[in-house]
Amino acid sequence: MKKYTYIIFAVLLCWTSACKKLDTLPPSIVKDDDVFSNSAGIQAYMARMYAELPIEDFRYSPTRGLNFFWIISPFSCISGEGLSRDQNSATQETFGYWGDAYTLIRDANYFAETLPKYSSNFTPAQVSAWLGEARFLRAATYFALVKRYGGVPIVDKVLQYPAQSIDELKIPRSSEEKVYDFISTDLDYAYANLGESNQVGRANKYVAAGFKSRAMLYAGSIAKYNSINLTDASGNRLCGIPAAKAVTYFKAAYDAAALLDGKYSLYKKAWAAGDKNAQYQNYVNLFFDATSPENVFVRQYHYPESVHGYDAYNVPRQLMGANGYSSEINPTLNFVEMFDGIPKNADGTIKTTTGGKYDLYTNTMDLFANAEPRLRATVILPGDVFKGVSIEIRRGIYTGSSTGGISPLLPAGSTAHYPTDHMVQSSNASQTPYTLPNGTTMNPAGLSGYFTGDGTCSVSGFSIRKNLVPDKPTSEVLENRSDQTWLEMRYAEVLLNRAEAAVELNALGQNDKSYLQDAFTAINQIRERAGANLLLSPTDLSDINVVRTERKKELGFENKTWWDLRRWRVIDKEQNSTIYRTLMPFYSANDGKYFFDARLDERNSRYTFDVRWYYEQIPQGEIQKSQNLIQNPGY
Amino acid sequence: MKKIFYSIALSVLVAAGSSCKKVDNYAAPDVTLKGVVSDAVTGKSIQTEQGSGTRIKLLEISWSSNPTPFYISSYQDGTYNNTKLFAGKNVISAEGPFVPMVQVDNNGKTIVDKSQTVDVKDVTTVNFSVEPFLRIDFVGDPVVNADGTITTSFKITRGTSDPNFQQDISDIAVFINSNKYVGNNNYDNRYTPKLSGSDASTSVGKTLSVTTIGGPLPGKRQYFVRVGARVSYGLNYYNYTDVKTVTVP
Repeated sequence: MKKYTYIIFAVLLCWTSACKKLDTLPPSIVKDDDVFSNSAGIQAYMARMYAELPIEDFRYSPTRGLNFFWIISPFSCISGEGLSRDQNSATQETFGYWGDAYTLIRDANYFAETLPKYSSNFTPAQVSAWLGEARFLRAATYFALVKRYGGVPIVDKVLQYPAQSIDELKIPRSSEEKVYDFISTDLDYAYANLGESNQVGRANKYVAAGFKSRAMLYAGSIAKYNSINLTDASGNRLCGIPAAKAVTYFKAAYDAAALLDGKYSLYKKAWAAGDKNAQYQNYVNLFFDATSPENVFVRQYHYPESVHGYDAYNVPRQLMGANGYSSEINPTLNFVEMFDGIPKNADGTIKTTTGGKYDLYTNTMDLFANAEPRLRATVILPGDVFKGVSIEIRRGIYTGSSTGGISPLLPAGSTAHYPTDHMVQSSNASQTPYTLPNGTTMNPAGLSGYFTGDGTCSVSGFSIRKNLVPDKPTSEVLENRSDQTWLEMRYAEVLLNRAEAAVELNALGQNDKSYLQDAFTAINQIRERAGANLLLSPTDLSDINVVRTERKKELGFENKTWWDLRRWRVIDKEQNSTIYRTLMPFYSANDGKYFFDARLDERNSRYTFDVRWYYEQIPQGEIQKSQNLIQNPGY
Repeated sequence: MKKIFYSIALSVLVAAGSSCKKVDNYAAPDVTLKGVVSDAVTGKSIQTEQGSGTRIKLLEISWSSNPTPFYISSYQDGTYNNTKLFAGKNVISAEGPFVPMVQVDNNGKTIVDKSQTVDVKDVTTVNFSVEPFLRIDFVGDPVVNADGTITTSFKITRGTSDPNFQQDISDIAVFINSNKYVGNNNYDNRYTPKLSGSDASTSVGKTLSVTTIGGPLPGKRQYFVRVGARVSYGLNYYNYTDVKTVTVP
């Protein structure tokens, strides 16, 4: 019997002593200790935040969202830069970027609050650089919010629930001005604490300064051009910034841009003065050279774990990959006409006729023989070479008489289809060759379009070249197979920020520096590299549209223009039942030559920007969660 | 044993059958709210456009003091009508191309509030009289010229004496369309002439005659003409004339 007592006693003893550690975290959960005790953990934390950073890159479309793989309604096709068969009208963003932003802001705040507790593991320099980086990420996220919604709730610390009550957590919107000031403070902190250099794809102090120049330029534009006002009951102006602040913000933009002086430079490795071909090749290379001194802030991709499909969606039709996508982005004639080196009429439109008759060309590229190198590097012109083949774009074959010249096929401003008499055209890529008078045969349409029946072709007469890998084999032109780097901020943009701020300051009567002269230098640096005509004197910049047009040309198809048109408050005028222009090459059978018809988009896609879109709609679901959020006007 | 099993099965069935009785027996919304937004001086309805024009804002305060607003878009002639509302107590105001009915100063204090608190039930009519930013009137009927274009004469005057809402006129347009829904949201830009800049800002009080652009209009059909103008205030709403029909022979 005593034996039992011992056994029971032994069992009890083992039991109670073995099960002491009940309050432990499951080993499958990553703890603060794991992350913050070594630099590999910090790097992993940072990698996640950078991956979530809201930049409009290869994986963005306004109707689908950020970090989305299937980008067939491209952003550049709502800003007038391009036309797409899948995006036929103006739109604003429809996915409501809000919740993801506050998740990222929380991550940044959590990082900034937790890292100091583990600072003994690192050098003080490391700690302060990382704290600066967290502030940079927070500022970049707030900038993504403020440019969409105006003033938003400012959360500068980790919110605790249930320690804080729900009512406390329903933070109301701050004024738009305060949010921009908050971004400015964060970026100043980042600039002061970050190091001179960092891993590729992460911020250093100059990236922070570059972002500041961008954000402050937006704030200045809102102060100067916005007329929408929304003020809450406590007097916070949620939409709009007092006009008096314009000078302050433009000065901040100018000063921040100047901090990058001498640290970065325009990419000119293959550039040669007076050599248009070298200048063209240089501009193509600039998007693919990892060592480019122009790359300020980039997002890298790498096959197979982090990929996009930019090549597959946008190659010209004749180089289509196995997924069957092609030519989503087709630059408009309006975009092409901004550039130098093409024959133009007095009103700036392209010149394709003389005395009411079409001009004739042996090859389609003859019209563009003297085109600005930057244009050729941005847009595939009809007949230009890409991946070693000539990209053939032809609307049809004109078989009518050419005695005395050919009169325009349609009256000016017509949106009608072309008349079908004396005309051979193709409805899709399976074409029936037409026998020319000299006995040879020719397909009615080019290999890359234009096809009248389906949109899988160049619908504008042009195809996009910028950011398409120039030597990618067609077998690899597939969805989720591209991994070229996205250049989110190039030094060219910083120069343009500086020039625009300078011209605005000059217009606002500021003369503490020779602003116009400085803008003149910056714009001419960009023009020289582009192979464009140089400005003759600073007085050429008296019209703000010179700087703006330069910006549209240089940053075209880099997902910046729509935001620019919006902050200048001009897009409702530009897109006002607007049909964009296209350029259609025809082959005249009797002449054996080409002619071009500049016309309004034959598909009749009309663009109208709704004035309400200057401030996006705050997602209704967010207002239901936090009733203190005031909706933007008009929604 | 079997008995117990059957009785359990039966009670489960009864419970399942009887607990699902809750059909939604709340009456469907059947209350009508209608009315018109009209000019306080002339008494005419304020012409607008659908989409980004006049809308009626309802704040249902029967349940909450801070409700989510509900909006009713008006027709382009300034009237509105919704026949599927629930009865309730509402604070009703209108937004559109006229001096705002609710104004807030820079400190967030409400300085003007002309919204109406109404018990909405059965068929309720709520009318608003407001001051439009601009009054636009046709001067005579639009004329078809010998060359196939249309010339429209009109006059723009200020609708309000409040200098806060007398910004310069930024745009004037004689909208042309092939159906009666015509305005900035819906027009044919091949033929529609537009004025802006100093042409627009100096036009107050003058009689303007504007001719369609883009050459002769295709004949043997009707066109619908409406003049619109706007000042740079807020969402830049357009004020309009009514729609006139022009037959091009």
